[in-house]
Amino acid sequence: MGYVHNVHMSQYIPPTAMHCVTGTYTNVAGQVIDTVCVHRAANAATGVVNIPIILPSSTTGQQGAMLNSIEVDYELLVAVAVSVTAVLNKVTRGADTAVASVAVPTITQDLAAGVAAVVQDQHKMTVTVTTPAWTDDDEYYLLEMSFECGAAVTIDVLAAVANYTLRV
Amino acid sequence: MGYVHDTHCSKFIPPTLFHVGAVGTWTQAAGAVAGTICQTVNDANQTSTVNIPIVIPSCSTAQTGSLLKSVEVDFTIRAGALTALTAVFNKITRGANLGIAVVAPLAFTYDTGHDIAAERIDVDEHKMTLTLDEPIWLLNTEYCLVELTIDQAGATDVIDLLGAVANYTYRV
Repeated sequence: MGYVHNVHMSQYIPPTAMHCVTGTYTNVAGQVIDTVCVHRAANAATGVVNIPIILPSSTTGQQGAMLNSIEVDYELLVAVAVSVTAVLNKVTRGADTAVASVAVPTITQDLAAGVAAVVQDQHKMTVTVTTPAWTDDDEYYLLEMSFECGAAVTIDVLAAVANYTLRV
Repeated sequence: MGYVHDTHCSKFIPPTLFHVGAVGTWTQAAGAVAGTICQTVNDANQTSTVNIPIVIPSCSTAQTGSLLKSVEVDFTIRAGALTALTAVFNKITRGANLGIAVVAPLAFTYDTGHDIAAERIDVDEHKMTLTLDEPIWLLNTEYCLVELTIDQAGATDVIDLLGAVANYTYRV
């Protein structure tokens, strides 16, 4: 029996899988015809979009998926934002009758939170995990994107792509 | 060319992929633990139905792709006990063009912490495992939905759905 160790795997995560709080969000057509997005209406508050990283995991150590980086495609419209910040949460599921626990692995965000990430434009932000780790079946990742906005800016989140190593 | 036969594969299914139906007011909210997410329903006298799509690979060749073995569902019941919570494991065979889909419920077993009705409704954190009595290879014409029926007749209870994990053998 052979085995697979592929360091070039990627997984598209559609906006319909994203978890959005604070503000009014709707599924609408993207700015480019035939694309889709989740749209946040103007709201002078910090909107939070959690992106569930839907990758294989494994009950065996050092197998399944090793998350290396995540790319987030979003667009800021009408005005600049105040800041756009990514936090990667690694959730360890609770056993029955126990709560989950959350760790925050160190990441690097290629677009500076209050500078390059907030320009009124199309954005492709890459979040790189400093120390990638194999994902146990009792763990999963959420990429928490906080969009601190003024009164005018609206947001379209188009997609995310998780880049990972697959070993099965 | 070798092939892969890995009996330890799992896949997280986030609550945003759950189909929460028309009964109840379901909202995306932060989880009780900071940094987590959930789908939560309002406190009302109602019975809602939630379907969890089991999004794992399938194959047009028999006995390849995924052999689905079990599904774990993470949820929190707050404020008061539910009246009832039951699960059904449905396998859907997609219809051909002009044909309807066909649904077959699959026999499964609750884990020992949830095999009595009262164990599924108490105020607590829950990790409920549904194990298929006979695991199934999924064809590309098939998929599975785990259907939860949530009875809140007590009207003082709330459930937060945190996610699910499908456990399967992967063969390609």
